[in-house]
Amino acid sequence: MSQNTDALLILAGLAAGPLIGGFVTGLDRIVTARCQSRIGPPLLQPFYDVAKLLSKEPLVVNIWQVFCAYAYLAAASISLVLFGLRSDLLLILFIQAVGAVFLVVGAYSSGSPFSQVGAHRELLQMLCYEPLLILVTVGIYLQTGSFRVPRVFAGEKPLLFHLPLLFLALLCALTIKLRKSPFDLSTSHHAHQELVKGLLTDYSGPFLALVEIGHWYEVVLMLGLCSLFWATSWEGMVALVGISYFLEILIDNTCARLNWRWMLTSVLAFGLTLSLFNLVWLTMH
Amino acid sequence: MEEIVAVLIVLPLLSATACLLFKAEALRSWIIVATGLALILTSLLLTAHVPFTYSPPMVFRTTLHEFIQIPDFVLMLAILVFGCRERSKTVICLASLQIVLVTWLELFQIQGVPASQAINCDHLTLIMVLIISIVGSIICFQAIPYMKNHEAHQQLVRSRQPRFFFIMLAFLGIMNGMVLANDLTVFHFFFECTTLCSFLLIRHDGTPDAVRNGVRALWMNTFGCVAFVVAMIVIHHRMGTLDLQEIIRTRPSEGLPLLGLALLSLAAFTKSAQFPFQSWLLGAMVAPTPVSALLHSSTMVKVGVYLVVRLAPAMQGTFLSQCVALFGAVSFLAGAALAVGQSNGKKVLAYSTISNLGLIFACAGLNTPEALTAATILIVFHALVKALLFLCVGAIEQTIESRDIEDMRGLYSRMPTTAVITVMGVIMMIMPPFGLVLGKWMAFEAAARTVPVIVIVAVGSALTVMYWARWAGTLMSDPFAGSFRIERQPALTLGALMALIVAAGGLSVAVPWLVQWLLILPGESGHVPAFLSEGGVLENAAGVFAVVPLSAVAIAGLLHGLWALRRARGARVVPPYLSGIQTGAPQIFIGPMQRLVKAEARNYYLTSLFGEKRLTGWVNLAAALLLILMLGSTL
Amino acid sequence: MAVMFKKIFARARSKSPWLLHFNCGSCNGCDIEVLACLTPVYDVERFGIINVGNPMHADVLLVTGTVNPRNKRVLRNLYEQMPHPKAVVAVGSCGLTGGIFREAYNVVGGVNKVIPVDVYVPGCPARPEAIIDGVIFAMKKLGEVKPCRER
Repeated sequence: MSQNTDALLILAGLAAGPLIGGFVTGLDRIVTARCQSRIGPPLLQPFYDVAKLLSKEPLVVNIWQVFCAYAYLAAASISLVLFGLRSDLLLILFIQAVGAVFLVVGAYSSGSPFSQVGAHRELLQMLCYEPLLILVTVGIYLQTGSFRVPRVFAGEKPLLFHLPLLFLALLCALTIKLRKSPFDLSTSHHAHQELVKGLLTDYSGPFLALVEIGHWYEVVLMLGLCSLFWATSWEGMVALVGISYFLEILIDNTCARLNWRWMLTSVLAFGLTLSLFNLVWLTMH
Repeated sequence: MEEIVAVLIVLPLLSATACLLFKAEALRSWIIVATGLALILTSLLLTAHVPFTYSPPMVFRTTLHEFIQIPDFVLMLAILVFGCRERSKTVICLASLQIVLVTWLELFQIQGVPASQAINCDHLTLIMVLIISIVGSIICFQAIPYMKNHEAHQQLVRSRQPRFFFIMLAFLGIMNGMVLANDLTVFHFFFECTTLCSFLLIRHDGTPDAVRNGVRALWMNTFGCVAFVVAMIVIHHRMGTLDLQEIIRTRPSEGLPLLGLALLSLAAFTKSAQFPFQSWLLGAMVAPTPVSALLHSSTMVKVGVYLVVRLAPAMQGTFLSQCVALFGAVSFLAGAALAVGQSNGKKVLAYSTISNLGLIFACAGLNTPEALTAATILIVFHALVKALLFLCVGAIEQTIESRDIEDMRGLYSRMPTTAVITVMGVIMMIMPPFGLVLGKWMAFEAAARTVPVIVIVAVGSALTVMYWARWAGTLMSDPFAGSFRIERQPALTLGALMALIVAAGGLSVAVPWLVQWLLILPGESGHVPAFLSEGGVLENAAGVFAVVPLSAVAIAGLLHGLWALRRARGARVVPPYLSGIQTGAPQIFIGPMQRLVKAEARNYYLTSLFGEKRLTGWVNLAAALLLILMLGSTL
Repeated sequence: MAVMFKKIFARARSKSPWLLHFNCGSCNGCDIEVLACLTPVYDVERFGIINVGNPMHADVLLVTGTVNPRNKRVLRNLYEQMPHPKAVVAVGSCGLTGGIFREAYNVVGGVNKVIPVDVYVPGCPARPEAIIDGVIFAMKKLGEVKPCRER
């Protein structure tokens, strides 16, 4: 019986990424457009984009890009599936990092200066958000006693009350993960050119579609991580996720892109300080 | 089992002498291969007999302890002589001090008859013996073609290989003896032997650089030996025994014995090149690569972590243990930060070794069953993967004659096999489901309750990913859509690399069974493993790591990726985007005045933040302060 | 089944044309009008149009300006780096035939002398509405189920 539920959960996780991720991205673009007094694309636009990319002729700069694009998609989808299977949060983070590294190696392999600089910036971004995500999971562990997802749902008060500073650190990391200004240094979404397209310059056609779908999986995973902070009621969860995402869009539209030094000092220093205070407070109680 | 122990220790010494005496190259190669295979087999046979403790019977009415006293003095005198020859005051001082202290210990304290079992083999020792025998032998196999090539490059008239392989093989026997030793004096003898071996191998090439770095290694390691002897004096004074098992059972919690444990930890830190003693390991990278692989990543530097992991049950619950944990964490972070600022390939590997050893020390300091399991797993997988990476860098260095990562840019087009194997090695260092990340996962879960340690380790882990991904990317950085051509490598080199990859990969999948059957930690009675392993999934109260399912998915993903690669062969190849001014040749574009320009990129080394010159001073200061805190807290 | 997928892909292609805007020596009049299309007044993102800067991501190549011998090469390179199926829109009278600069010594005279053009948008400068019309025309061409691969 549990094997059947496991199989169903795996399928749900695999399907949730593209479906929910695509809708969230579409909603993102509409809200962004409205913020800029435009009308914006239709809600299903990201699906049209991905379908169009899949139908294009495959172009290759270095054949290993293909491998790296598939590896990125695989890692992102596996991490979301594991999240759906209520597995260990730390393990999920490690697996998600696999995809990011493959994306960087794929960008390096094309040899164009735009990709190379984009790859370096992506590594610096990873340097900024990874410690924060790890410390958020440590905070969840210290509060609930386990790294596994189900224990979060067993609490009485939402995690947000116990881990407020860690939630702020998570939002900082989320800004980087979702590729929003001011931290969309390595590559940006939808027509915000960054060194042409930074990391993704030499990916094209079907392989770019795979990377885009992988990004959707990551978006859903990050929003899932946010949702753990109000696990006591469905309405609260949706409200929290909605408000955080809207905050990200707002920051994206109001801030200009800044350089990596600023990102290192602000995100890493600020985020680590917040996390440290929260964690110390947790261990003392 | 006495025969097994004898074979493990004595056979390599005999083969080493044979290598020194018989100068014929083919004969030497056969001796090395035969010894290596014999060692591998014997160490596997040892698995069936573990655990056991015994003292070898008296030979000519002397015990093992007395038997080694004369060689011990000869060794210390040899170090003194080398110090005089190199005119190094530090070595002379430290060596003389050591002779005086050992004489004091033998004459006034031990007075002849020790009351300890000389040899003890439990699961931790077994793991070390397996690493030394298997990884060490594989490295020696690869050293045969490497040294031949090396000497051809140097155009030597008289080959120095007999001496080289004498020391390499003898070293294997010495290491086996050290991890099997239970008596601290025997341990100290082998400890010193490794110091001398390291010195001789670092200065093997005879260049002024090599000699200088050899002397630096000598005095730093001798400093460690001195600390070791002082520890022995202090422990024997209070506890009356130098038997390791006895010391661990007694669990000193305060006073002089605890100071003794702290001094032993200090000796371990020196041997493992932790900060502020890291300069000897960095300097040792001038040695031929098999030396770096064997001594300075897989085996000799593991002695330090082995000693602290073994002593961990004795330090449980003390402030000393917490100091060791914090020190290890700081070392992990500092090593990773310094590696980010390095462009010399072997130095990156050296800093990475220091960093990983710091993590193992941190686990040993945290001193919970999960942490100690993590430490053991990290020891195993780090030895395998680091040896693999060093051997790859050795092969690369001999072809392109440079160690700089920038010169390895686009290596895939020149040496596809080696580049892919190196990238696989890097993948095994930083990605799940391989063993090193499993060890890191266990370490994080163990450290999660100790806030300073987990914060430091989290940042260090992110830095680690950065420098490894950068290197892997640089190797593949060449627009190359052509077909894969296997470059020509000597059979022993390729065989050694393949063996290490298969071993690391296979062991990664087999980790759940490893944890269940092999990782019975020292000092545990009534073995309850820290992690339950069921159906290939490792679990405990806090977390779960599905090793076998994830490995299956990873293999499926790999096969799918390779199939996609084959399918994409029909795709149109375009040059990378260069704003439309590209020409047909790769990376060449039409620049100003219609001249052809090559597009070049270099890696970010961020030397203004992470450079050696900038960070080393601060890191050494922090480490020295922590060490003073550690030693002072025991008084 | 395959036909259904082809139909879906064709519809997706017509609903998501990504632009690459290249200026081949224009006076910037047409370029300003192109950029005006991206502003909230005209808002081409309603049609799914995104101005990407990279030929490898683009479906539609929007070319303004006469072509001169120097950027003839560049135009050719960019066109070749675009994956099929693609469309080219020549904007402004300079792009059509060279405009008033047609007889200058350094002017090749019209984009279709270098690469095959699908849609011609006249005007000097072409109005944003005309440009949008032209791109939509190109979208319809892209949306054919069996797009022409070789030209």
